[in-house]
Amino acid sequence: MRDAFSTELIKLFSKDPKAILLTGDHGYGLFDSLRKKHSDQYLNVGVAEQNMVGVAAGLSRSGFKPFVYALSCFVPVRVLEQIKIDVCHDRLAVIFIGDGAGFVYSHLGTSHQSTEDIAVIRSIPNINILSPADRFEMISCVNLAYSLEESVYLRMGKSDVGDIHQDTPQLKLGDLLPIKVNKSNIHFIATGSMVKTAVTLAEEFEVSVSSAPCLKPINKEQVSQICQRNEIVVTLEEHSIFGGLGSIVSEIASEISQAKVLRIGVEDRFTKYCGTYNYLLKEQGLDLSSVRSKIKNFLKKA
Amino acid sequence: MKNILDVNDLRKTILRMAFKGSTVHIACSLSIVEILAVIYRSHLNYDVKKIDDPTRDYLILSKGHGVMAQYACLRELGLISKQDIENYFGDGTMLKGLSDSRVPGLEVCSGTLGHGLSVATGLALGAKRNQTHQKIFAVVGDGELNEGPCWEAIMFAGHHKLENLMIIVDKNNFQALAETKEIINQENLSKSIESFGFEVLSVDGHDEQELDTAIENLFQSDTLKPKAIVANTKKGYGISFMEDSNEWHYKRLDDETYQAALKELELKK
Repeated sequence: MRDAFSTELIKLFSKDPKAILLTGDHGYGLFDSLRKKHSDQYLNVGVAEQNMVGVAAGLSRSGFKPFVYALSCFVPVRVLEQIKIDVCHDRLAVIFIGDGAGFVYSHLGTSHQSTEDIAVIRSIPNINILSPADRFEMISCVNLAYSLEESVYLRMGKSDVGDIHQDTPQLKLGDLLPIKVNKSNIHFIATGSMVKTAVTLAEEFEVSVSSAPCLKPINKEQVSQICQRNEIVVTLEEHSIFGGLGSIVSEIASEISQAKVLRIGVEDRFTKYCGTYNYLLKEQGLDLSSVRSKIKNFLKKA
Repeated sequence: MKNILDVNDLRKTILRMAFKGSTVHIACSLSIVEILAVIYRSHLNYDVKKIDDPTRDYLILSKGHGVMAQYACLRELGLISKQDIENYFGDGTMLKGLSDSRVPGLEVCSGTLGHGLSVATGLALGAKRNQTHQKIFAVVGDGELNEGPCWEAIMFAGHHKLENLMIIVDKNNFQALAETKEIINQENLSKSIESFGFEVLSVDGHDEQELDTAIENLFQSDTLKPKAIVANTKKGYGISFMEDSNEWHYKRLDDETYQAALKELELKK
């Protein structure tokens, strides 16, 4: 998925000399080819994320197309105010890429993990949020982000969980992508790395699965239909259960349907221990067997 | 823009707004009057009929708290009306207590401090890459320089040799609650900024001639360095009972103080 990101970026940068990548001294190895081909379109701003966003705002006003890259704990979380005031208020077309979202940096601890990024960005006007699940969605998302002429937060989470799609999907802003269709009255809506988990459990529970690569805006019509046609909707995300996909779906469901929504995500706690990504998912109840039990328990009560 | 922007008139407008709107931040607006007047009058390539012209020079008021001084200038330039001044802080009006980019003539939202300078730095980098010869002015407060991002921007501008950027520090030696030297001492401000690759001049920030010459000289210098002027100012300058006292950061004018302040300006004519 990260390769797909960097390859798409190079294609866009070859076409658009005003496209420029700003990094806060992050992205080891990720931009080597880009730097080789378009050295003048790569700018390492230094370990100074707040200034980076302000500079991106200035460049955008000067006719450039800035892509601002950092780990998601820095962009958007650390620089939230700069994104709000310097970029979104003035509707500047700056694309923010938050890499390593969720528990990708499991060994590094809380400072480098981000499970609040969607929630905080979602409450700021004039910014879109994209959260691809695999390399094909990434290709769609990068191109969509570029074409919008608006500010975008592109969330890049665990990138090597495997493909969901066989080909690059046609993606209209806001749309959910149907992944599996089943006749049961349960529907899983997942985003990012958790789409894989949803697909893996789909057979077992005989449910339909949709991927949500667009979190803001989200196609309300599509979500409404899912909530009206199903008794139970399960949302899955590697993000807090507060303010992310689970909240988005619950908000819509509460207005138009009787469907019960189970939000699977990070509970209200920081991670405690060091370990592999899979270890941390388990600690947070997001590994396959924990998710399975959560759903089973919910179904028993429902 | 010649023969306009009389600093006495600008101060009267500030007082009028502050009185009508019953607002705070009077003293930190009064300290930047000469700075803004000189930039607008003689150095800013800015057509009030084409305020969105992408090739314009930029004046970024990073210390958004001084916005009444900029409103006063914009009034003189015809960008805001007498009504805007008289109705300051009225419900549904445009002019806010801090800089807001929705107001014609204001470039950025600021007042949450340490933002404007980074945006100015990005504009300077953009202009340099576009080879448009635009000048970018950023007016920052000495209190504002407590903010980390200001120094991130200063380091960046120095490294990238943004010779089209000029920072003007309104060094009035006060911030919201006390003297700057009591909070974060900035005794060697010029040297600090210089050490990041800037060409710096220190001037009397209320002497229009001195400001004018300093801006002129810095932009004529052929060193490829960003520029900074440390403008030594007095908070509340121009009104004797407001000068060099921090009281008028938050104090509001009443009938008596408004008339007393106006009278002082009348006597200066």
